[in-house]
Amino acid sequence: MSRHLRIVLVHPPHESDASQRAAALHAGLNEAGYVLVASLPADFHLPEEIARLQPDMIIVDAESDARDVLEHIVVATRDERRPIVMFTEDDNQSSMDAAIEAGVSAYIVAGLKPERIKPVLSVALARFRKEQKLLHELQDTKLKLAERKVVDRAKGLLMSRHGMTEDQAYQRLRTMAMNKNLKLAEIAQRILDVEDLLG
Amino acid sequence: MHAQCNPAGAVMQIEKTTVNIGFNPLTDCASVVMAAMLGFDEKHGIRIVLSRETSWASVRDKLMTGELDAAHVLYGLVYGTQLGIGAQPRDMAVLMNLNRNGQAITLSRRLAEQGANDGASLAALMAREPRQYVFAQTFPTGTHAMWLHYWLAAHGIHPLRDVRAITVPPSQMVYNLVEGHMDGFCAGEPWHHQALLEGIGVTAATSQQIWPDHPEKVLGTSLDFVRAHPNTCRALVAAVLEASRWIDASDENRRATAEIIAAVPYVNTDKAAILPRILGRYENGMKGAWQDEHPMRFHQDGQANYPWLSDGMWFMTQFRRWGLLKADPDYLQVAQSVTQLRLYREAAEMAGVAVPTDVLRTSTLVDGRTWDGTDPARYAASFPIHQRSGSAGN
Repeated sequence: MSRHLRIVLVHPPHESDASQRAAALHAGLNEAGYVLVASLPADFHLPEEIARLQPDMIIVDAESDARDVLEHIVVATRDERRPIVMFTEDDNQSSMDAAIEAGVSAYIVAGLKPERIKPVLSVALARFRKEQKLLHELQDTKLKLAERKVVDRAKGLLMSRHGMTEDQAYQRLRTMAMNKNLKLAEIAQRILDVEDLLG
Repeated sequence: MHAQCNPAGAVMQIEKTTVNIGFNPLTDCASVVMAAMLGFDEKHGIRIVLSRETSWASVRDKLMTGELDAAHVLYGLVYGTQLGIGAQPRDMAVLMNLNRNGQAITLSRRLAEQGANDGASLAALMAREPRQYVFAQTFPTGTHAMWLHYWLAAHGIHPLRDVRAITVPPSQMVYNLVEGHMDGFCAGEPWHHQALLEGIGVTAATSQQIWPDHPEKVLGTSLDFVRAHPNTCRALVAAVLEASRWIDASDENRRATAEIIAAVPYVNTDKAAILPRILGRYENGMKGAWQDEHPMRFHQDGQANYPWLSDGMWFMTQFRRWGLLKADPDYLQVAQSVTQLRLYREAAEMAGVAVPTDVLRTSTLVDGRTWDGTDPARYAASFPIHQRSGSAGN
């Protein structure tokens, strides 16, 4: 990636972002050459601001009630997710791992030194990308399985109704799909729909 | 290690005696607080350690990490997590229902002065004075989002197209209403009565008007925790059941409860904000006052605590209705796996609480529709106002 990562920092609505944690983070981001595009209060403008700024990563205080506003953003942008990194007081490694599995990209523990920020964020981003890839693969696989079931049922129907062999049924479906310029699963679904309709 | 007798009289070992319970500062955290306060935890061989949380999402994260063993949590959050809405899916568990009713919808004083003081008059005002109306709830999959959506839709207002729906933490609702950032909100108490006391909002609807005796918070945990600590869970449910029964036993007990939970470590508010509505005494800020037929209930002879499968399924039907789920889940199977019915029955027996025999119940909601849990996919598809994206199976 040649482009610098654009980061948004979210802080509790009634506090400034001048806490020690935030100060350490500012310093670390600067050293790492990341671009802090905004430091936003977690108020009702937040979803709009995130949508406008389109940051590459969001950093937020895990102990803040702002987390629920962020959850809104996560749910609202389910189809274009971005990594979220959180501060926490909890320095237990196993709980960090579990949290990461639960959907949070990284937990940054309080008292973190500025020079540690770059590697932590890099790892978070890498994990996020890997997870997204796995998630997409999983969805693809599920879709393919579902499609295969539909094709199998349509084949079964052709075999029992028209006395075709499995190979003939498959060839017939494939020819129909090619002629109509449809996917195999789509033509199979149509056959099943017609069967449903006519009983 | 403590030992406890189970209903069959056999000694059972409690796997984890110190139980960390998270709660959010709301009136309906009362039963978990009182279970610890009144010593029902010790009676059942455990020690409840309470942890005040400030956000629902961090309650969920801490249940995942094991930092919390169980929590006072939104019904919908448990199912949202189970189904992977907003986070990676994780197997969750509902141990028991903590309360029914006792939430509300507040409209700003400004709206009330323009004539909007209930659903019908709000719809009329929105038609008469078109602009962007903003309504807040507390968590995208939570109960308050579902009550708000349901109530708006019942009055012909599409909650995702006709208004802007936002998430605001409960404790910031009153402030945002004062600042004019929004026109109304749905959250738990004491925030609605607080808005009334400050003269900045009116109670346009109670959540029990939307669904009389609706389920609200649950005692939730992860399925992993239940599997590893079944006896701890039984003891915990028994302790909270006893506290629930105690709170509901008299107005005197409710007053004592309000006194205790108003304190700084719990809800951290003035007792006056909690007391009237925990006693069922409502006013709406428009000179209307009444003794509510369906106030916040913590026990109701166990009816309020029983985790009905139809209650759990209802939240999934609304997720489907509003596009949070893109296809129908296997409603009954998911509800059965989340709801720890057998464990609940055993714990109820330990606490001497009656258990209904059915697992589904029938309710009629504000739009006149009946929900009985028998055909969830059909119910989910039956609403004229919805945001179902794509067809089932996509």
